[in-house]
Amino acid sequence: MRSKAAIDTIPVTKKKTFVFNKDKGKKITSFLTFLGPAFIFYGIFMLIPLIGAVYYSFTNWNAGSQVVRFVGMSNYVEAFTNDPYFKDSMFLTIKYTAIVVVLQNVLALAIALFIEYRNRTKSLFRTVFFMPNMVSLIISAFMWSFIFSIVLPQLAEYGLGFLDQGWLGNPDVSFYSIIMVAIWRGTGYMMIIYIAALQGVPVHLKEAAIIDGASSFQNFVHVTIPMIMHAITITVFLTLNEAFKVFDVVYGLTGGGPGRSTQVVALNIFEEAFSGNFRYGYANAKSMILFVIILIITIIQVYVMKGKEVEA
Amino acid sequence: MRNKKKFSSIINLIVLVVLGSISFFPIYMVVVNSFKSQDQIFNSVLSLPTTFKFSNYTEAFAQINILQALGNSLTVTFIGIIGIVLFGSMAGYKLARTPGKVSNIIFLFFMSSMLIPFHSIMITLTRMANRIGVQGSTVGLGLIYIGLGVSMAIFLSSGFVKTIPKELEEAAKIDGATEIQTFIKIIFPLLSPILVTIGILNLLWIWNDFLLPLLMLTNVNDYTIILSVNTLFGEYNNDWPRILAALVITTIPLVITYIFLQKYILNGIAEGAVKG
Repeated sequence: MRSKAAIDTIPVTKKKTFVFNKDKGKKITSFLTFLGPAFIFYGIFMLIPLIGAVYYSFTNWNAGSQVVRFVGMSNYVEAFTNDPYFKDSMFLTIKYTAIVVVLQNVLALAIALFIEYRNRTKSLFRTVFFMPNMVSLIISAFMWSFIFSIVLPQLAEYGLGFLDQGWLGNPDVSFYSIIMVAIWRGTGYMMIIYIAALQGVPVHLKEAAIIDGASSFQNFVHVTIPMIMHAITITVFLTLNEAFKVFDVVYGLTGGGPGRSTQVVALNIFEEAFSGNFRYGYANAKSMILFVIILIITIIQVYVMKGKEVEA
Repeated sequence: MRNKKKFSSIINLIVLVVLGSISFFPIYMVVVNSFKSQDQIFNSVLSLPTTFKFSNYTEAFAQINILQALGNSLTVTFIGIIGIVLFGSMAGYKLARTPGKVSNIIFLFFMSSMLIPFHSIMITLTRMANRIGVQGSTVGLGLIYIGLGVSMAIFLSSGFVKTIPKELEEAAKIDGATEIQTFIKIIFPLLSPILVTIGILNLLWIWNDFLLPLLMLTNVNDYTIILSVNTLFGEYNNDWPRILAALVITTIPLVITYIFLQKYILNGIAEGAVKG
């Protein structure tokens, strides 16, 4: 497939057809002119902070520290062995990610398939489902706070008793409230990617399958799915990444509460650094753990799913 | 056969209408109730407003100085997008046009950060911004977005440059144009489809971003629109009329953007995904 995931695309090295060694200085100058600006901004705001974050994750740096001391692996050891809140938040995030990735992709693909079926109302429905994605994550959380605390309890009075829940106040329910909002906001984006992929499925393949007597379900499983596998790889990659890093929605809806019942990892790190203990070094160590987990899981995901992609 | 087809078409429509209504319901509720008084909201949230209470909007405007906040959001987004598009495409172009080991290494160097969660760099980034004096300014915030977003732009534009034939540049070179002139006059226009994609993806990201402005902007007068609404929500937790009005105002610029750029936004997302 032509499409490639971010991690495995490297420009192909071609043999030089001509050697232009006349002016090496000029070549370097032009390199600097074109790459310099990007390099400076990237270096200052991405690279140096990143290197710093790795370094400080091995120190006891905190808001009050006069001297920053190197403490070896002790932050990491503490995160794994002596921080129940962090462990809980990690498990919660993994559970959240599993549910959101599956639901969001299944729903987005289903809606995309349904919309592809329509003729005149295609763009109307596309807009309806995509609109939530134009609303900022934190604003979506505020909108849904209103829905959860005012609208649904009133709806419940019209015989829809099941809507009368402690949507944000009950620890058993609020986790699923967050998932609802995340899916409401995120599905439209994935739907757009799926629609584009479905439009790329060659019609002659489907026709050939129909002539061979395939039912529409068989057609879907054996023709459509393999042909849009590259899109599925990408959407799963995107949803996986986003779900692991979930922050805004939880911050806006529950703030991690009630208690710490909906505290996801990103929120745990944020609290450690900026609103709880101000232990920067330790928070950095936790964020490195999060990074490595995301890295490992996405590499496995891309590797496994790439293997299932086929050429048209 | 025809009946069966018609039947499944109707089922299809019903499912879409039901799901679509659920999807649209929260937005509808927020808009409708933003015109009601607190009493009306608490007593009949579902009904249409009997009288339109526009004062919710004027109060929201007064409360958080929305015009100023919109201006701040525009400044940040504008600086971020211009920088990302310009610097990203320059670097992507150069890397794509000079294949070799050095380019490969530089390319990888830029890409290596794409999987890193923002939470991993947020603490040291805040410190860096504080040290070099860009913390607490909208311009500074825009500059930070350039650093965070430029990798993705390099990735997308370098892929696109490879599809442009080299002959044009060679012709320009023979005509005596400098490299920069060639880039600005010839390459940049040819790149416009991918530049629009890059611009849109970054517009959706920067305009809607919450955590970075939260960490960087310290003065209320510099707050972006998202940050202002966050403050309002925190301070007037139960003053729904005002909050809902503010939520609607915040979302309107994006809805307008969508109406005008619909085609480009949807293409941009699909393109960005396939290439990314």
